[in-house]
Amino acid sequence: MDHTITREEAAAALLTVDRRRSRVAEEIGLPAWYWWGLALGWIAVGVASDLGPAWAAGAATLIFGAVHASVVPRVASGRHRTQQLSVRAELTRRRAALLVVLAVAALGLLTVAAGFALYADGARDPSIIASIFVAAVILLGGPRLLASPWLRERSG
Amino acid sequence: MSAEGFDELIHQSTRLSIVALLAAADWMDFAFIRDELGLSESALSKQLSTLEGAGYVTIERPVSNHRRRVRVKLTPQGQKAFQAHVRALRAIVAAAGDATAVSAAAK
Repeated sequence: MDHTITREEAAAALLTVDRRRSRVAEEIGLPAWYWWGLALGWIAVGVASDLGPAWAAGAATLIFGAVHASVVPRVASGRHRTQQLSVRAELTRRRAALLVVLAVAALGLLTVAAGFALYADGARDPSIIASIFVAAVILLGGPRLLASPWLRERSG
Repeated sequence: MSAEGFDELIHQSTRLSIVALLAAADWMDFAFIRDELGLSESALSKQLSTLEGAGYVTIERPVSNHRRRVRVKLTPQGQKAFQAHVRALRAIVAAAGDATAVSAAAK
């Protein structure tokens, strides 16, 4: 059996292939529960720092860090944002995991800076306020973090 | 001019979309494909049966959280056929600059 295909038909088929691949690449990201867990954990550390005994802040930070370190390797690839599909590894770039770690480190610095600024301003619970601010940044900006085309392999 | 690797079975527009989606994923829920392509369950089932019959996809029914899911995967054979088909399409586009049509031997 012979099938006649024009150049235009072949080009249209390739366009379809590229669009479907791009659609799957849009699914790259971290699951919503990760961002909520990170935000709530951040606030918990802030609360422990302001309201708990002196050792509580250190203990909360250590526990939070340990839990986060155990979760990140499983989700940071960005291939399982939802339970509906698993994106092929070839579509993601290895820098995704690095970006997540760097973002969390930057948020830590932001929290400390905001905490000192609030303390200097005479705020009563600077760590709690700073952690709530950063938690909002996490929830609003986190899901967009891995949506960047910079983190996706080009098609082809 | 030849179009080696051109696959008549994959080239049908709905199946091409299904296989292109699956080629970018390790596995995909039946519901995701259905919603993406705007197909009815029976229409998608029919296309998947055709692809399964050719050995291009496998359909699994794992149970998670007491819910039965239907997961579709492209087999290595399906992946290979898809890649060969894409190469054939590219060859047609590249080589047919001065020709209006080519004849591609179907699988």
